[in-house]
Amino acid sequence: MTDTLKLSVPVKPEYVGTVRLAISSLANKAGFDIEAIEDIKVAVSEACSNIVCHSTIDEDRLYNVICEIFSDRLSISVEDEGVGFDVNNIPEPDLSEHTGSGLGVFIIRALMDEVDVSSKVGSGTSIRMVKYLPETV
Amino acid sequence: MSLIINGNFDEAESRWNFRLAGEIDISNALQLKKQLETAYAARAADIYINVGDLSYIDSTGLGIIIGIYGTIHKSGYRIVLLEPKENVKKLLKITNLDKVLS
Repeated sequence: MTDTLKLSVPVKPEYVGTVRLAISSLANKAGFDIEAIEDIKVAVSEACSNIVCHSTIDEDRLYNVICEIFSDRLSISVEDEGVGFDVNNIPEPDLSEHTGSGLGVFIIRALMDEVDVSSKVGSGTSIRMVKYLPETV
Repeated sequence: MSLIINGNFDEAESRWNFRLAGEIDISNALQLKKQLETAYAARAADIYINVGDLSYIDSTGLGIIIGIYGTIHKSGYRIVLLEPKENVKKLLKITNLDKVLS
């Protein structure tokens, strides 16, 4: 059995913290330890910030955070209906240039077990990420 | 939770000492940028930031710190982060910034 939670969030910076709180509470309830909760919180927050930063949809529009709670994992999709981008063309973060650009997706990939970024120019972006619960022996 | 930024110039050490508390994310990262830039513009020096009471930072906050590091590094100055919590330390390590900002 899978429980699904769906949050619809205004595309505004001040609500990213609200999503972060909700996700920590959900991850805690799903049985993750403190370090994993922190990873999930950071990853989801980065995905939301990405949308708020790069999406050109107007501010009264919403984006969705869809959480699916499985017995062995938590899957979270952050989806917008913005302009989209070419997924084959995400620049690697170049720290020597000291801009910080591209850090968000880089961090998400480092913290989550599975990450799937899909986007099409003109029809929005979706970042789906999965974290597995540690195996119970 | 909001972000609290305190900074003063340490004459004895000839550097800026900042202390951050709370959370830095996309909603308040610009606040940090302004304060650090204002300080550095008033007096060019190293910037030491104690992040011991910072419970959260994201790529927006890190991006701003890297950006300012890039600017002041050209003049031979640096940014040092002091006492990061475990979660902040983990992000610094992932992004390789632990080597730059220490």
